[in-house]
Formats: sequence, structure tokens, C-alpha cells
Amino acid sequence: MSASSSSSSSEFAGLGAPLEASASPALKFEVLARCSTTKARASRMHLPHYTAHTPMFMPVGTMGSIKGITTTQLEALDCHVILGNTYHLGSQPGPELLEAAGGLHRFMAWNRGLLTDSGGFQMVSLLKLAKITEDGVEFENPYDGRAMMLTPEMSIGVQNAIGADIMMQLDDVVSSLTTGPRVEEAMWRSVRWLDRSIKAHRRPTEQNLFPIVQGGLDPRLRTLSAQELVKRDAPGYAIGGLSGGEAKGSFWRMVTLSTDILPTNKPRYCMGVGYAEDLVVCSALGVDMYDCVFPTRTARFGNALVRTGSLSLRQGRFRDDARPIDPDCPCSTCKTYSRAYLHTTVAKETTGCHLVTVHNIAFQMRLMRDIRAAIVADRFPQFVRGFMQTRFGRTVPRWIVEALRSVGIDLTVPDEAGYSATPIEDDCQKAPAT
Amino acid sequence: MTAARFEVVSGGGDGARRGVLTLERTGARVETPAFMGYTRHGLHPHLVPDVAAEVGGLPAVTRVQAEDFLGGGRWLGGGGGVRALAGLAAGGVVVLDVLDPTVAGRAGRAGAKAMAIEAAGGTVRLGPGDFAALAAALQPDVVVPPADYVAEALPSLERGKRIEKSVERSARWLDEYLAQARHPAAVLAPVMGAHSAALRERSARALGARRGLLGYAFNDGGLALPLERRLDLARQSLAHLDGGGLRYMAGAAAPDAALRAVLAGMDLVDSSYAYAVTEQGFASTYALACDSPAARLDLWHESMRADFRPLAAGCACFACARHHRAYIHHLLATREMLATVLLQAHNLHVYARFFADVRRSLAAGTLPADAARFAAHYGPDAFDELRLLAAQQATATPTTKVQRRRHTSGPGDIRDHPPSKTTAPTAEPKPKSSATTTTSAGGGGDSRSGGD
Repeated sequence: MSASSSSSSSEFAGLGAPLEASASPALKFEVLARCSTTKARASRMHLPHYTAHTPMFMPVGTMGSIKGITTTQLEALDCHVILGNTYHLGSQPGPELLEAAGGLHRFMAWNRGLLTDSGGFQMVSLLKLAKITEDGVEFENPYDGRAMMLTPEMSIGVQNAIGADIMMQLDDVVSSLTTGPRVEEAMWRSVRWLDRSIKAHRRPTEQNLFPIVQGGLDPRLRTLSAQELVKRDAPGYAIGGLSGGEAKGSFWRMVTLSTDILPTNKPRYCMGVGYAEDLVVCSALGVDMYDCVFPTRTARFGNALVRTGSLSLRQGRFRDDARPIDPDCPCSTCKTYSRAYLHTTVAKETTGCHLVTVHNIAFQMRLMRDIRAAIVADRFPQFVRGFMQTRFGRTVPRWIVEALRSVGIDLTVPDEAGYSATPIEDDCQKAPAT
Repeated sequence: MTAARFEVVSGGGDGARRGVLTLERTGARVETPAFMGYTRHGLHPHLVPDVAAEVGGLPAVTRVQAEDFLGGGRWLGGGGGVRALAGLAAGGVVVLDVLDPTVAGRAGRAGAKAMAIEAAGGTVRLGPGDFAALAAALQPDVVVPPADYVAEALPSLERGKRIEKSVERSARWLDEYLAQARHPAAVLAPVMGAHSAALRERSARALGARRGLLGYAFNDGGLALPLERRLDLARQSLAHLDGGGLRYMAGAAAPDAALRAVLAGMDLVDSSYAYAVTEQGFASTYALACDSPAARLDLWHESMRADFRPLAAGCACFACARHHRAYIHHLLATREMLATVLLQAHNLHVYARFFADVRRSLAAGTLPADAARFAAHYGPDAFDELRLLAAQQATATPTTKVQRRRHTSGPGDIRDHPPSKTTAPTAEPKPKSSATTTTSAGGGGDSRSGGD
């Protein structure tokens, strides 16, 4: 790996003692800097396999690999923690083989942080006939049609075999669009399943178990859920049940409500978030960790991420475009290839897809480094304004304006550079990036 | 206009020989016999440059094919040629040929003025002037100009004047290319004449009388003759060619074929074999020293499931230094693209080591004996991956480079990732719920870590 294509996180160099910290057998969390305006903070998270810098984005390697990218490349791209999916890995290669291999780290030759989900989300999203009982998730085996069951104990059992630094509890997942008593039932059941998961956890000194805040879009239930979980004194907490197509105005309110209750000296993980503007806003709301399949998946369809949005490289307008995806990007793809070359190869060669995947991971990692550096320099509000100006110009989605206003950044009031924005009702940017 | 020169160091005639290809511009040296890096759009298959750099031991010569850059357009005209375009090493030799050596039946029915190439999107005509323009944009160091490759069935060839026409046209196109060439590249001239002794002699005599050629290309695989017959025909031509010319033979990339080609006096083949091995899900385990029982390992095989050994014992390649068979089996079974990345890194490494051994053996004077032992040890069918690949491609749409998997798994192997026929995706799946379409551009509005 050429050193020139690598980037690393050095934004904490020279910082003094942590402002606050927490320690548990397999995780030490140190808040090193706090934004003096928003709820953003920059922290070090010591995991059994790596010391990660947060806020961080974690690429998803469902089957024990990030699509077409070697672990050596992932290190050079400055990835600190990556995800594996328990449902997929539990099917193939299966917990016995993973245990025989010495866990997923050794199976895939990745020496940094790993996080696994509980498998419950796939039960609900991939399998049509999932039925939730107090015991667990009952589902029909897609291969032979037999009824099967995933319990909190089984999920932890597989996750213990995988051996990730961070495991997630099995939760009773309901769509974020669901309303009524089912949401409360799921919230309380998730708490009960957490307690069963804690009991089933065989490796508490080597692996961390994160509970998941549930409660749909109901502030009362979210509050109850977060308060219950805090009583369990976990090493860190996740905010779940969001990013499922709910209105963004509800999304950010649930996130900020959760971070207000969760302890400030422990990491908070917002599941399924990966769009650049979401990462910036949620960091302002006090979130430390994110994951999403979006950057790597969209790369394989020829979409390259840039601060202004996304370039759909297959479009004819890139046929003769000699510019790199992003002239400021330090990744090996941007240093070498034109949009025109990628336009041609991404549709024809897997290698072309790999080139865009490399860029998209580099894009996410650089965005997170910039967020951390801005927090350390206590210039995060300025960073946020600059980011929104680049991405949206003078019309910014209302949910972003409101979310940022709630933590002291008012985009509608001009700053020293004269930038201000008007809220619009769209949840995202519609104009194509250039 | 010699951008590159070739010197025969030892051996010669129509027997094996050692040589050195030198690039004037940078002084890069390639010791022959060697292989050119087979690329697609200028990239080693599956390997982005950062990963290809980990393979090590690759000769400093890369082969690109004109058919990957048809359609032209301004995008080729960045000024830095294919090196800048595809991120090739600045110092190495770049050879521009016309056709992809792994795909049969790409040469269509040529006209008097141009080759016909069956490309994606229809037939493309490529004449000497077009090729000169492409070479000016891509700036290779060495070119194999277009020729009228004969690909018809044998019976019809013996009746008419098809081969004669092909020899005449190819000679004329070479003149026209040289007259129109704007970029100073050295030339490997295609040796023509198909299976006609008289016409081979005519083509070779005319080429042998030319000054300033770097060497010759034995590119006419369209007749699908057995290698031994092709080598016999090549020998007939060599008698009339300049013995100091560099010789590239397409279609002799498999290790056993390459040994026979080298013993027949060829200097260059290409690494398309390593790619064909990868496409089958195999890992190469052959060596000139014959220190392995088999030439390859099938990573799809169930016995790989819990095998925590490296692909090949003692292998120092990028994949073997980090990964084991069980992981690569898992990646194949789950259709993870990293499988072919790691296999290609390994297979290219083994191929490069094989050629280093061939050069050493040739220097030591033991190559004929080593080659005979190699052929006897691994047997006649141990290196059929290029044939398998061509057959798989023949069953796909002939105008696309669809990569077929050798194995199609039964339903028991399919989890929630259905096997895909192509490795390059063609359409992005729609977001699952309509509500997610309101999220940012680019699709895939998955909730949580939904699996990627």
C-alpha cells in the first residue's frame, strides 16, 4: 500500500487529560474535546482491538469483507471499526467455523475494531414471516420452510463466537412508522431482552454489549427506554429504530432526546446513519458512532460521494470530464483517475467499482476527521455552516435548520461571511451535484 | 522511431532464447522470456493499482487492448495517454494490441479498409488510421497494429482466396498505419498467412525485409488450431523473419503452452492465464520445480470450508501472507468480490514466479528437461482455464464481457444473496419502502446496518 494514498487520524495529537471518561472491562471512553456551542464532542474509544476516534463512521462488511476492499486498504483508508452482520455470518460461515478460526478478526485478517449487530433487523427486514414472541423472533427458514427461533441468548451466542469488540442486544424491532401500543410493547420487551442478553454474555471482559434505545417516535417511550437502559450501566448505548423512512423532523428529535438522557461519558451510536448531512447534524446532537451500507453500496452503482452530494458517474455528462471525482480528496482514486475514465470502467469492470468504493470510504473517513478536528479546535459551528453552505447553498431542509437551531447554530442568521439559509420542506437536496 | 529496442542475449534460431527489452524513454528493462500484464481498461483484472502493487515481481510491461478504448471521444485526450488514464506506472513499457486475448470470436468480418470488432453496442470498424489516432491518444511504447485476422471455418478457407486477401490487407494496413502514425511507438508486426505454408512465407518475407520493426506478433488464433500446429506454422514464418525481432504469441499464456512457445523461440506471452484461473475460483499451485502434486486448488470445493492453510504452502503472496483457504471459500460462496481480488493477487504472483523460474532454467540450460518434466508431472489437462473461460463467454452474449461463474450453487448454498450472473452490477435496487425515497440522492436508503 502506498503511503501516499493513506490518511490517518492525528487530530487528537497534543491534547491533554480527558474532560470526562468511563471505563468498563473491555472499553474505555475518553471525551477529549467538547464543542462550546453544540452537544458535539470528540473522544477516544479504547476497544480490545483498536483505539478508535469518535465521532466515527463504520463501513459495513456484512459477510466479513467490505466489498472488494482488502483489510490492508481499509487500514490505509483510516477505518477504525467495521461492521459484520450476525444474521449473515451466523448462516455462513456459521458460528462453529468462526470459533474454530479464532473469531471474525482472525477469519478475515482485520486487526482493528469490529462491531456486530444482533441479527434481529435482518429477521424482520429480510424474512416475510417473522413473528415476535416473548421468547424471541420466530421465523420460517427460507431454505426448508421449517419454523425457527432467534432468541436474545442465541444472538449473543453467535456474537460471542464472532468475537467483535462491540455486540448489539437483540431488540424487538418495529418500523419507525408503526404507532400505537405495539411500540410500547416492543420497547419494554427490548429492555427484558437486554437483561437476558447481559446474562447470556460469556465474554464480558473481551466484548462490549450495547443496549439499544427504542420507543419509536414517541418522546415518552424514548425517554422511558433510555432511562431503563442507563440503569444497566452499559459500556455504551445505541439509538435504534430510526432511519426507517420516518420524517426527518421526527428523526432528529428522537436522536437529541436520547443523547440528552444517555450518560455524557459513554459512547452513543446512532444506527443506520450514513448520509453526510445526517452525520454532521447528529454529531452536533452528541452522537459518536454511525454505520450505513450506503457509501459502499452506492459506489458499486457508480455513485461517487462529494461534499455537494453524489456524482452518478454513469451519466453521459461525465463521458469527457477530465476532472477527478473531487480534486481535494486525498484518496488514490482521486489522485489517479478522471471522471471520464471511471464513467467507462465502472459499468464494465469490477475493478472500476472498487475504485469508487475506495473513494466513498475515503470520503466518509475524511468527513469524520474534519468533524473531529473542528470540535477539537472549537470551530465546529463554523464547520457546520460551511458544510451546509457547500451542500445546500441558501436553501436548507427545514429539519436541519431546526435540529441545528436546537443546539445553538442558527443558519437563518447571517454569519461573518454573510452566509445564511432559508428552510425548505424537502428532506434532502434535489439538485444534481457537479 | 524506436521507442524500445530488443536484444537477444543468448540462444536463438527457432529454439528458446533469452533477451532484454529496453524502453528508451525510461531505461526500463524487461528480461525475456516474460509475460505482459493482461489488463482490462488498463487495469489488472480485479486489482486496483494499490493492490496490484502488492503482488510484486511483475515484469515492467503492460498490455492494453484497443477494443477497451473504442468510441474514442475527448476523454482519451488528457495528454498523459493510457498511463495517466489508467494509473499505470510511468516507467514501464505499455503495449497496445487490438483485441482482448481471453475472448474468442471478437474479430468480425473485416472489410478492405478496416478490422471489424464485435464490441458492446455493435460492430466497430478499426482501420490503420483509426488505430494511429488511438495510439496518439493512448501513447503506448509499442503497438501491434490492426491486421485482417482470419477467423472463418477451415473448409471455406481452403477454397477461396481469403487467406491471400488477409496477407495483402494486413501488409497494406501496416504501411498505412506507419504512414499515419503520429505517436512514435515501436511496432510488433502481425505475422499472417494462417495455415497456408506459401502465404506464411509471403507474409514473413515481406515483414523480414522491413527495417525498423521491434518484432513480430503471432496473434492469429482465430483458426482455433492446436498449439503444436500453431507453433509449427510460427516456425515456418520465423525462418524468413529477422531473428533479432521480439516475438509475442497470443493464446499461449497457460504455463504448459508458454513453455512450448518459449522453447519454440517466443519471447512474450500475456498474463491472461492468471485471470482465467481466478475466474474459475481456482488458486494456482504449479511451479516449474514440480514441487506440488496438483497445478491448482478449487476454492469452491466443500473441502476448503474449514481449511485454515494458505492457498499454497510456503507462498509469500499478498493473499497467502494474510488469508487462508477457508476465508476465500467463504468469500466465493457468499459472492463477495474480495474473493477474486485475493485469488488474482495470488495467481498473478504464482505466474510471475513461474516465469522467473523459466528464465533461470533457460540460463542454466535446463529448460527443455524442466519443461518435459513439468508437462509430465501436471498432465495435459491441468491448465485448461482459458479454454473454460472462453467456453463460458461463448455461451453468454457474444458482445459483452460477461463473467460467468463455473459453479452454480444449489438452493442450499444460496442465502439471501442470490448468485449474480455478472460481477458488474447493472441496476441499483429500489429502496425497500417508498418512504426512503425521500432521502438523499443515490439510492440505497437502508435502515441500520442492513447488510451490504
